[in-house]
Amino acid sequence: MPGMNSGLNINDPIVVAAFRSALLHQGIIALLIFGVLSIAWVAVREWRPPDPGRGASQAAEPAWRQVIRIGIGLLWVFDGILQAQPAMAVGLPSKIIEPAADGSPHWLQQLINWAGTAWSYHPVQAGASAVWIQVGIGLWLLFAPRGTLSRLAGVASLAWGLGVWVFGEALGEILAPGLSWLNGAPGAAAVYAVGGLVVALPSRYWRSPWLPRLLAGGLGLFLAGMALLQGWPGRGFWQGTVHGQAGPLAAMVNDMATTSQPAGLARLVSNFGSFAAGHGFAVNLVVVLLLATTGAALIGLAVAGPSRIPAAGAGRWLIRGPFIVLVVFCLAVWVLVQDFGFFGGLGTDPNSMVPLILLAVAAYLALVHAPAPEPVQAAEPTAETAPTPTPTPAWRERVRPAALSKSFAAAGIRTMLSACAIGVIILGALPMAAAQASRSASPILAEAVDGSSAPLHTIAPGFALTDQNGRRVSLASLHGKAVLLTFLDPVCTTDCPLEAQEFREAGVLLGAQASQVELVAVNVNPLYGGLAYTRAFDREQSLSNVRNWVYLTGSTAQLRPVWRNYGVESQTLPGGSMLGHNDVAFVIDPNGRMREELDFDPGPGTTATVSSFASELATAARQALASR
Amino acid sequence: MRSMIKTVARTRVARRLTVVPAVVLTALAAGCGTAAPGTATSGRPTASLPLGTSVSASGATWAVLPMGVPKDSNIFWQLFVLPAGGTKWSLVTPPGVATNGAIAVSVTGARSLAAGVRPSQLLRFSPVTTTANGGKSWQAGSPDPGLADVPDALAAAPGQLLALDRDGRIVLGRTSWSRLTSLHGLAATPAARSCRPSALTAVAYGPTGAPVLAASCARRGVAGIFTEQGGQWHAAGPALPASFAGQPVEVLRLVRTGMRLTALLQAGSGAGARRVMAWQAADGRWTVSAGVPGSGAVRSSSFGADGAAVVELSGRRAEYVAGAGAAWQALPRLPRGRAVTLALPAGGGVDALAADGSVLTAWRLRASGSVLGAGQWEQTQTTKVPIQYGSSS
Repeated sequence: MPGMNSGLNINDPIVVAAFRSALLHQGIIALLIFGVLSIAWVAVREWRPPDPGRGASQAAEPAWRQVIRIGIGLLWVFDGILQAQPAMAVGLPSKIIEPAADGSPHWLQQLINWAGTAWSYHPVQAGASAVWIQVGIGLWLLFAPRGTLSRLAGVASLAWGLGVWVFGEALGEILAPGLSWLNGAPGAAAVYAVGGLVVALPSRYWRSPWLPRLLAGGLGLFLAGMALLQGWPGRGFWQGTVHGQAGPLAAMVNDMATTSQPAGLARLVSNFGSFAAGHGFAVNLVVVLLLATTGAALIGLAVAGPSRIPAAGAGRWLIRGPFIVLVVFCLAVWVLVQDFGFFGGLGTDPNSMVPLILLAVAAYLALVHAPAPEPVQAAEPTAETAPTPTPTPAWRERVRPAALSKSFAAAGIRTMLSACAIGVIILGALPMAAAQASRSASPILAEAVDGSSAPLHTIAPGFALTDQNGRRVSLASLHGKAVLLTFLDPVCTTDCPLEAQEFREAGVLLGAQASQVELVAVNVNPLYGGLAYTRAFDREQSLSNVRNWVYLTGSTAQLRPVWRNYGVESQTLPGGSMLGHNDVAFVIDPNGRMREELDFDPGPGTTATVSSFASELATAARQALASR
Repeated sequence: MRSMIKTVARTRVARRLTVVPAVVLTALAAGCGTAAPGTATSGRPTASLPLGTSVSASGATWAVLPMGVPKDSNIFWQLFVLPAGGTKWSLVTPPGVATNGAIAVSVTGARSLAAGVRPSQLLRFSPVTTTANGGKSWQAGSPDPGLADVPDALAAAPGQLLALDRDGRIVLGRTSWSRLTSLHGLAATPAARSCRPSALTAVAYGPTGAPVLAASCARRGVAGIFTEQGGQWHAAGPALPASFAGQPVEVLRLVRTGMRLTALLQAGSGAGARRVMAWQAADGRWTVSAGVPGSGAVRSSSFGADGAAVVELSGRRAEYVAGAGAAWQALPRLPRGRAVTLALPAGGGVDALAADGSVLTAWRLRASGSVLGAGQWEQTQTTKVPIQYGSSS
């Protein structure tokens, strides 16, 4: 998938520094959001004390929902913190998303490549966005136990979970071969999404008799399905080794053991990998049996329903048993197979077992706990005691400053904190949305490849050469226009075509200002100095019809002084090599003064880095124009 | 100011040399490269023929072979020359352009050669260059739109070049190129009816100086060789042996040496493929050899100035023929090497050039009497070629 890989080191110091800086700045803004809103809230409450009876009518949140809401909220916060790891900005698309999508169908790979490219184009903004959006969703879930805000937090978890599941986990690799519950299928984000869906349910369903059955039955069916997949012949899970190599389970465990982590843990996981390789059949048998029996037991409980489950005595173990087995089993898999999931610098979440445990505990609590007490009768008033309903004011009334301040003062601390969490989500989403509006990749990529540009303040050395149309062009003849100048070999096989495309794209990015900028290249290959070669290069690179593109050439005697004056070296290398020359671009302002020198090696030259240089060039050209 | 720029520039050149290998590998890994030799093009015959070859003129013998590291796609094609009567091969690869896409050559005189560099990576056209002094210096000619991946994609005559492009067009030119015909254009001519050409495979100048092109024929048992005279194309292929009847025939090579045109033709494919060499004299008459003995894939084929030819087959085997009417002789088992190209020096004899990474080893066949098969390969030269790995950027 070409867009996934910028070719940069995932720990590239320039990107990492920019990522940290972005997180720091946005972190300060997040704190400011909390601080300002808190002060405003306290101040308004002092000014307009809230009605003491307000808000008492909401139903109490049942324990099972608390488990899901708080558990998923904590997981989102934890995942957000994991997203702040230094290697995430560059590494997530190429090291996490692309491998996850590898075995998926082509259409899914295309979809994921689109998203991965969007990330790779703006790694700093995307990385920071993921941090704040996930932390924001997590905090929102934690702060909002009831009401519309709580349900909306569930919707946010559902939506972001689905997004991560599709674009970050390739649908949890459910369409790829080798799907297994052990390696995290169907993906942690899918479980977060399910958790979000449950939290998003209206409170009238909280005490619905079918909800506990649905939770237990759904979980049971899922486990039974996973047991079937795990035990299906021919999928390789019954063999500890295949042709002398570790089988799928052992290979995965061994791979996890190589992740950077505490030595004791690595040893434990490695030992289990060896055990799985030596006893593949027995290990898989245990896995299949545990999945099948717990799945069947949960389905049985769902079919029986809570009313037919004995509330006390030995019968209680009929309920507890499967759940305890499932939780212990999940914990064992989490440690021994999934290796906690978040080590190594690129872990995005603790994998699927923790959220599954949350769902299991929630299902258990929903089955065995009595429904939460009914709310104060205000929620369902009788005819005798019901107060006269207050007519809902029109929206114009509600948005008046007085009404708004009253509502703000009446809001509880949790509502206020939820609003802050929403602010954090917006804080994360806005910069990425703004970055996506740009058609070019972030200049940070070009800077990461070549370093910062060198500012110059001197007269640009003059030249007079022949353009691709046979016309004489001098630097003096370009006076009044900004000039982006580079040196290209017309028979170059890699760098120069990429550089020419960056120049072309820079012209596009300049828009109307392009008419004030000349894109000038000087031939740097003395052996292929004829017009036929500059023209062939222009045709090859679709530059023939670019109005402000000028490719200059001349005799070697004419070219050498230009190269020398601009510090460009041209080296003929033996053995079938291309000409060696330095990749450099100069920014010359309309007064003929050199403003900047940019190292212009396209580096990896991948799809992800393409247009990053163009963006850098266009910015430099605008600055040169502004300096007139 | 100038000194400052220079310092910066020098630093960057030095850094660049360390960066370029990664650049090239990444570009290749990312699929940025164009078709590598051996991949299908519209002008590609179905029998894929490696691009290593050699050809002789009266003053020099030229050999093209791949060197470098194939596993990293870091192949650099090299051109060597052996002066008539000389014993040492010299590296004369045209400078200033990366040769990862291979080199097509055509002799134009005793020590003159035209060389076209096939497209590779992001270079989509073919730089063409000529030498008149045995490769000591090169002059850039007009760039070709993109030479096809066949050994005989370029043909030269004094003052004129003929090229077969990747899109199946035949172009003619010197200072600029003009279209002569195409696969479809040829197929529409009356001359091509008996062949029904499915792919163009080679171009050459015939003994009379007229353009000649070769095609794979959809009609079985027909040799698709055509010559242009007076703006019309005429079928000019030889009559083939009865054993070729009913078989699809491909013209694998078409090379002019001296005043004759030499063609290597193949009928069928795989283990059952049959091959013959054919020579066309100045009067237009063809002489067809007996079938090339042995089976297996053709690894390379080379041509001497006097009509001799040698075909290298898989399994380090090679068959030699001294010229029209001569019998085939098996050569001794060839020396080891990742890529071996045989050459027939102008002064006589057979050389084997073996490339392993950046080392070229030359061997000469020492035969007692006329029985080449009883001879022995004697190492005559070992040369390290200064390949700048990763420098094709």
